[in-house]
Amino acid sequence: MLSRIRLTLKQHRFETIAVTIVCVGLTVAALIEAYRLNSLNVPLSCLQSYQGGYMGPSQAPVTAAQAHCNELAKSFNDMRGSLDMNLVQLLLLFAPILAGIVVGAPLVAREIEQGTAPLSWALSGSRRRWLLGKVLAGVFLLAPLMLAVGLAANVLEGALNPGLNPYASFSNYLGRGVPDVFWALAAFAGTFALGTVLGRTMPAVVLALVVCFFVRATWDAGMTHFVLRQFAVQQVQQDQQQQQGYMVYGPGGPGNADMYVYYKSFIDGKEVTDAEVNAWYNQNMVCVPMPTQSASTSPADSSSPGASSSPGASSSPGAPATPDNSKMGDNGVACQGPNIDPSHMPQQVQYVIPGSWYWQTIAFESGLLLLGSLFCGAIAFVWVDRRRPY
Amino acid sequence: MLDRVRLTYKQQRFETVAVAVVCLGAAAWALLASWHLNSVGVPASCLVDGGVPYWNGPANSSWIPVACQLPSQRFTDALTSLDVGLASSLGDVLPFFVGIAMGAPLVARELEQGTAPLSWALAGARWKWLAGRILAALLLIVPLLLIAGLAADVLRGAQEPGIDPHASFDYFTSRGVFFVLWGVAALMGTVALGTLFGRTMPVVIVALIVCLFARATWERLMDGNLLHGMAVLEMPGVQSPGELLVYQSDVLYLDGKVYTGTDCWVSNGVPGCQYGPGDQPGPSSIGPQLAWYVITGDHYWRVVALESAVMLAGSAALGAFALFWVGRRRPY
Amino acid sequence: MALGGGASTGTAALAAHGLSKRFKKKIALDKVDLSIPVGSVTALVGPNGAGKTTLIRVCMAFERPNAGGVEVDGVDPWKHRSEALRRVGYVPQTPAVYRGLSVEDHLSMARSLHSGFDSDYARRRLDQLGIPLDQRADTLSGGQAAQLGLAMALGTRAKVLLLDEPLANLDPLARREFIQVLLDAVKSDGSTALLSSHIVTDVEDACDRLAILGAGKVRLDCPLEEARQTHRLTEADSPPPGATAIGSFLGKGGKNIMTLWRLAPGDAAGEALETASLEDVVLGYLAAGRGTGLQLN
Repeated sequence: MLSRIRLTLKQHRFETIAVTIVCVGLTVAALIEAYRLNSLNVPLSCLQSYQGGYMGPSQAPVTAAQAHCNELAKSFNDMRGSLDMNLVQLLLLFAPILAGIVVGAPLVAREIEQGTAPLSWALSGSRRRWLLGKVLAGVFLLAPLMLAVGLAANVLEGALNPGLNPYASFSNYLGRGVPDVFWALAAFAGTFALGTVLGRTMPAVVLALVVCFFVRATWDAGMTHFVLRQFAVQQVQQDQQQQQGYMVYGPGGPGNADMYVYYKSFIDGKEVTDAEVNAWYNQNMVCVPMPTQSASTSPADSSSPGASSSPGASSSPGAPATPDNSKMGDNGVACQGPNIDPSHMPQQVQYVIPGSWYWQTIAFESGLLLLGSLFCGAIAFVWVDRRRPY
Repeated sequence: MLDRVRLTYKQQRFETVAVAVVCLGAAAWALLASWHLNSVGVPASCLVDGGVPYWNGPANSSWIPVACQLPSQRFTDALTSLDVGLASSLGDVLPFFVGIAMGAPLVARELEQGTAPLSWALAGARWKWLAGRILAALLLIVPLLLIAGLAADVLRGAQEPGIDPHASFDYFTSRGVFFVLWGVAALMGTVALGTLFGRTMPVVIVALIVCLFARATWERLMDGNLLHGMAVLEMPGVQSPGELLVYQSDVLYLDGKVYTGTDCWVSNGVPGCQYGPGDQPGPSSIGPQLAWYVITGDHYWRVVALESAVMLAGSAALGAFALFWVGRRRPY
Repeated sequence: MALGGGASTGTAALAAHGLSKRFKKKIALDKVDLSIPVGSVTALVGPNGAGKTTLIRVCMAFERPNAGGVEVDGVDPWKHRSEALRRVGYVPQTPAVYRGLSVEDHLSMARSLHSGFDSDYARRRLDQLGIPLDQRADTLSGGQAAQLGLAMALGTRAKVLLLDEPLANLDPLARREFIQVLLDAVKSDGSTALLSSHIVTDVEDACDRLAILGAGKVRLDCPLEEARQTHRLTEADSPPPGATAIGSFLGKGGKNIMTLWRLAPGDAAGEALETASLEDVVLGYLAAGRGTGLQLN
């Protein structure tokens, strides 16, 4: 079997070398970027208080110490939004699926295309045993490489969101860590199944790209809406939770520890609809004139008014395009909450998957991906036995 | 020539059908998503800077006028729905998918399958043979991507109802004519790689990496080089919807001078800065502000034309390399 | 060079019963009954499209028959594929080599796939032919690639060897070497070979039986000598009495139309005529399969 694995990797040497180089390079790059961020040694308090720019004279007094804090935070944000950082994050996002497709597509399809399948299948007797050898070669290549990439991505995530434990936080959780392995295996299994059915490499690649894009783009929303909703619990000590981490906006949304699933609204302990909450505010709120403010103060914030999108920020599957709406109305009037007992105001309770459930959630979703991989693999094993070798 | 075009599609029938289905499907999806957004019917009076105010929950959105709250909420729900989100993100990947899918087998598969010696023997001039195949691919992908790109423009218009998508730089390189430009660039690059490697999978791998890199760096390269000189200083507090932020500096004095890299702070309400030689503020200065250099939306077509020219020049260079190299390489 | 006499022990190494295979509207095999005796080297001849490759592919369980069945060394490959393929050594029509692998790698692959693969045996065969083991397969000549394919098939030490036009692209010297290696192996191992080929001289050199396919049917299945003895060639207007016409073709020199006849048993007058050569027999059946000249019965 070892000999078969070695020969399979040798047969597909370009793909083997390319995937290895890219994954190793990406791992090293992620660790370097994390090191660069960490070496700035920016206090968490500076990041949390950073206003993203310099104050005009009408703002509250800023001491020299605060200005220095701002400078450090600005350096952090600049580095965070730098080109190399964006590139690394983009590659980390796509690497597992692309690696899986690249390794999986030629596994069976190329043998059929090049006419070597009849010989291999004649020698092997059992086509499934033959296929198993090739699949194991792919798994032995992908699993360790993707684990390295995933762990490096976790380190980078910790550097990008200081104060958040990447192993107790759902910030970009499916784009790092152990899930990288399972995404790669799922893409690998789906692609070699397509290759077995179609018998041609390029069509397998084309179809796999389409299917994988669709699955990846819909996974987050689908899991949140249909599956994780059943397990979500009331978020406790919300303010404290939010202060535990540095709130940043990147692929996957705010860098909060918990995974937001849905919310419920209550007035005086009674669950109410959004329309009822709207009605309460419209009935009870007081509007006062407020000066118009500029919305975004962070130079690196991609949601600045008029900023063209950068792929790193907007192409994350599932991330919606969000026009900037933080400015006040044209008439310069803003409305504030009413002066009544806060306990009688509408309360919004968020239902979340807590960050402390990270490993259980990872195990669950990885398990689903593994099931999908096994299903695709089963199709391939059934089909290889039935199809013609050309 | 028509025969050659037809036979090229027949040779690559899977890729041809896949590209057509995906492009037309993406266009239809974008139009459906646009309809989904437009069907909310947000009144024009509710628009803020051309966009619909983002509904951030009743507690945080109480500044929105009462009559606009329900439309805002519905529009936000539609905007963050899966179909709109997916349709939006297609713009970043579809043109590359099309270019690579059509370009990779164009030369590489002929070399792999051993039919190149026959084709090249019959054709005589290899560059003519390749030019015919490239033309066939272009005749397919250009109209398809244009349709998908225009549908993406319509979607952008629906996402920001008060802004003309052809006078706005919001996500402008992920829609419109850029669909065609990216697709053509990906096609030419992949064909060039195909003539180099002569094998389909290696071409796909390298093309994917190169396209990812190009897409991620394009805007910064353009902003930092081509568009830098076109940007104009925007007064603080004045913003026009859909403008393109090219770069920003840290300090601005309203007497028209801009200072960069200057450390400023405010202490007890009095601004202070570490000035460089000759950088002292004038008596009418209002103090340090953020300074943005922008290109306003009315320059949309000029910017698009400029970036298109650069991209097309790059594509032409890649195509020229492919036509040159195909004449030099061995047919197997 | 051929083995003598068509050894027949009553046991078939390969047997097809009523075998039919259709591809959409085209009938590739039409109720084929064929029996290849153990220890024989049988030439499978027929015009293009006669069904030779399809027959071999059915035996390899690459094509599923629409009717009838086939047994390889007594095992139905469709019911017991692994078992059947253990007993078969296969050389495909186009030399199938892995471009990036060396000759030694091919033997390693065969060893890892086929339990009982005798890589020393295969290696010896290749050494005898001077094919370097460390050479990349895509740099081998056509003849060398064919020998590599044969070495891998022989290395399985299979009882039945199925060779699908392995000589088609080889020069005369390469063909002779290939046949010699094949015959040595068959003789030493006592295996049975079915060799699909158009080249009559190779058939005469290598084979002791002849099976001719035409339009999906078996037209002739007998030892070589019997094929010669039971057929006569005359000009088209000089039929032997009582004989059955097989097919007509252009004679040597291109001047006359010659017709191949199959004699009826006990046809003394026909037997007095000069026997047809093997080439004439093959040409006659090929012509019949192409549909020119006389109709086949």
